[in-house]
Amino acid sequence: MTVPRLAAVLLILLFGVCTYPGADLVSLAVRLTPPPAVASGAPSGSLPWLHVAHPEGGPPYIADHQGRLVLLHGAIPGGLIDYWSGTDPSRTNPPPFFPIDPAAYNGRCPNNYAVIGVPPLCQEDLAQMAALGFNSMRLPLSWSLLEPERGRFSQTYVDRVGQVVDWARALGIYVIIDMHQNAYSRYVGRAVPPPLPNGDVAQLGYNTGAPAWATLTDGLPSEVFMGQREVNPAVLEANSNFWYDRSGIQDEYIASLAFLAKRFRDDSAVAGYSINNEPWPGWNLPPGFEDLLLFPFYRRVIDALTGVRDGLPCPTHIYMPAVCGYPDLDVHDLRHLIFLDTGLLREVTDFPTHLGLPVSSYPNLVLALHAYTHVFTLDHLLHQQPEKANYPWGGFDQSYALAEREAKALNAALFVAEFGGPSSTDSLVLTNQLLEQERHRVGFAFWIWKENCGGWAMHDGVSCTPGDISPQPSSGCLRAGRERLLARVYPRESADARLSYHYDAGTGAFSLQVHGRAGDPPTVVFIPREVTGEVNASGAVDQLVTTNPDGSRLVTDSPTGGAFSITVTPAPLDVIPCV
Amino acid sequence: MRDRAATRALVLGLLALPFGILAPIAIWTGASSLRRIRSSNRELTGKASATVGLVAGVAAAAFFFAGAAYWWLAS
Repeated sequence: MTVPRLAAVLLILLFGVCTYPGADLVSLAVRLTPPPAVASGAPSGSLPWLHVAHPEGGPPYIADHQGRLVLLHGAIPGGLIDYWSGTDPSRTNPPPFFPIDPAAYNGRCPNNYAVIGVPPLCQEDLAQMAALGFNSMRLPLSWSLLEPERGRFSQTYVDRVGQVVDWARALGIYVIIDMHQNAYSRYVGRAVPPPLPNGDVAQLGYNTGAPAWATLTDGLPSEVFMGQREVNPAVLEANSNFWYDRSGIQDEYIASLAFLAKRFRDDSAVAGYSINNEPWPGWNLPPGFEDLLLFPFYRRVIDALTGVRDGLPCPTHIYMPAVCGYPDLDVHDLRHLIFLDTGLLREVTDFPTHLGLPVSSYPNLVLALHAYTHVFTLDHLLHQQPEKANYPWGGFDQSYALAEREAKALNAALFVAEFGGPSSTDSLVLTNQLLEQERHRVGFAFWIWKENCGGWAMHDGVSCTPGDISPQPSSGCLRAGRERLLARVYPRESADARLSYHYDAGTGAFSLQVHGRAGDPPTVVFIPREVTGEVNASGAVDQLVTTNPDGSRLVTDSPTGGAFSITVTPAPLDVIPCV
Repeated sequence: MRDRAATRALVLGLLALPFGILAPIAIWTGASSLRRIRSSNRELTGKASATVGLVAGVAAAAFFFAGAAYWWLAS
C-alpha cells in the first residue's frame, strides 16, 4: 500500500472513530461498565439525599434515602438569570440589572422594574412556593454571571445561589441548579438594519447564557428569521463554536460548573445540576448533534464533576470527538442528580431526535424533558390552533411515552424540567400536561414563576407601559386558574414506584392506589391549603393526617401489607383571593 | 476516464458516518459505480473511491442501525 493510500485509510478510520462507529463503541463500553460506588450516607440537615433508583426491569426513577419514589413539583423563578434590560434596544450590553451581592436580599427585596423580563428572586417567593405545596425549584443561572471574565469565577454569584439554597432548605424545597441559556447569549449583538434579506431585528430581551468573551459569532449578523430568536446566524455560529470547543470555551464552561459544584458538593438541598438548558445545535443537524456532540459533552461534564472515567482520554481545549471523556476536576461529587436536557428540536417534534446511546456509567442521571406540546411543536409553527392541531399524531402522550423510552435507553430517570405556555391555553395544554405527568409518574418544574410583562407566569405581570421606569411590585396576583391546576394533591414519596393517582383540579377530588408490604416506608401525600375535601383511606394501611399551620395537610400512610387507596372527596377549592 | 459516481460514493460514504441517514445512498452509489467500473474493460477508473464509499456506507449503516436497534431493545 502506498503512503498516500495508507494516510487516506488512517484518515477514514479516524473519521469513523469521531463519528457513529466510535460513539456506538464507547456507549457500549459505558453500558457494560459497572456504576461507581455511590454512597448517599445518612441524611444531612432537613432534606435526604436524592438518587436514581434502577429497579430490575422497570424504569429508573428519582428516589430518596429509603428508596421511595419521589415526585418533585415546583416552579422556575428567573431572578438569577442575566437578562438584557433597559428601554433603549440599541444598547446591547447593559450590566446585570439586579444586585448579585446576597446582602441586597437579606431581609429585603430590591425594587422590581418593568425594564427587565423578570422580577428579582427574594425569600418571600420561596415561602409562596412552599405554600402551594412545591417541594422543589429549578433555579436557572447564567454562565455570564458565573464567569464574567475568562478564568475568573464569581464567588459573589455563587454566594447568591447559596443564599437561595439556604432559603429553600429551610422550607424543605429541593433546588435543581440549572445552567440556563436561551439563544446562546445576550451578547450576540443586534444588527440594525438587518443586512440579510427577510431577517428581522433581534430582540435580546430573552437571550441569555454565555458571557461576551465566550460568544464567538465570527462576524455573522445577529438578526432573526421566522420570528424565532434561535434562528439567527450569530446565534447559530456561536452555538456551533461552543459545541466544537473553539478556543476552549467548552472547557471553561465545564470549569465553571465544577466551581459551582464544589460549593454544593455536600449539600443535599441541591437535588442536582441541569447541565445545559434547551441545547441548540447551531449549524449541526440531529441526530448527529445529540449523539456526537451534545450527549458526549454531557459525558465530559459528568466525568469532570464526579470523577468517573467514561470515554477515552483526549486532549482538551480543542474539538473533542464523541469518544472523549474528560479529566477529573477534583469535585468528586457522587451524590447529586445530573439532569440532561434533550436537544431543543425535540420540543418542536415531540419525538426523539437522537438514538439515546448510553452516555455515562454514573447512575444518578435524569432525562430532563421540556414538554411544550402545542406551544412550540410543529403544529404551532404552522399556526394551527391547539384544539384543531393535527400534530402530534399521538396527542400529548406522544412526547411522554417516547421520553420514557429514551430515559430507559439512557438508564436515566425522567423529569419534566419545563412546561408551561400562555395562560389562555391552560384548559387544554396545562390540564393535559399534568394528566400525562400523573400517568407517567413524573415530577415537574413549571415555567415560569413570575415575569414582568408576559402571559406565561403563575402570577399576573406588572404595569408594562413603554418607557415606565418607576418601581413596581414583584408581580400581580397569583393567577387563580394556575393556582387551581398547580397547587395539587400529589404523592410526594412512596415505596410503590408503580402507584397510580389522579387529581381533578375541577372538583378537588383525588385518588391514589398503592401496593405495599408491611414494614415498607410510608407513602406521603401532600394536600394543599386550597383543597378542602375529606381524606379517606381504605385497604391495608395505617393513616395519619397532620394539618400544617397554613392549612395544608400531610397524609402519612404506612402499609400493613397489600393494596390500599387514599381518596380526597370533592369540595370547593379555596383559592387565594386577588386583592 | 473517471466514473463520476465513484467520487460521489466516497463523499456520501464519509458524510454517512456522522449522518447515518445517507448510508443507503452511499451504498447504492458505491455499488453501482463499482459495477460500471468492472464492466467497462478498464475504461472507467475510480475503483478505490467507490470501494471506500461503499465500505464507509456499510459501516455507517451498521453502526447507525445498531444504535437505533439499541434504542428499541433497551427502551
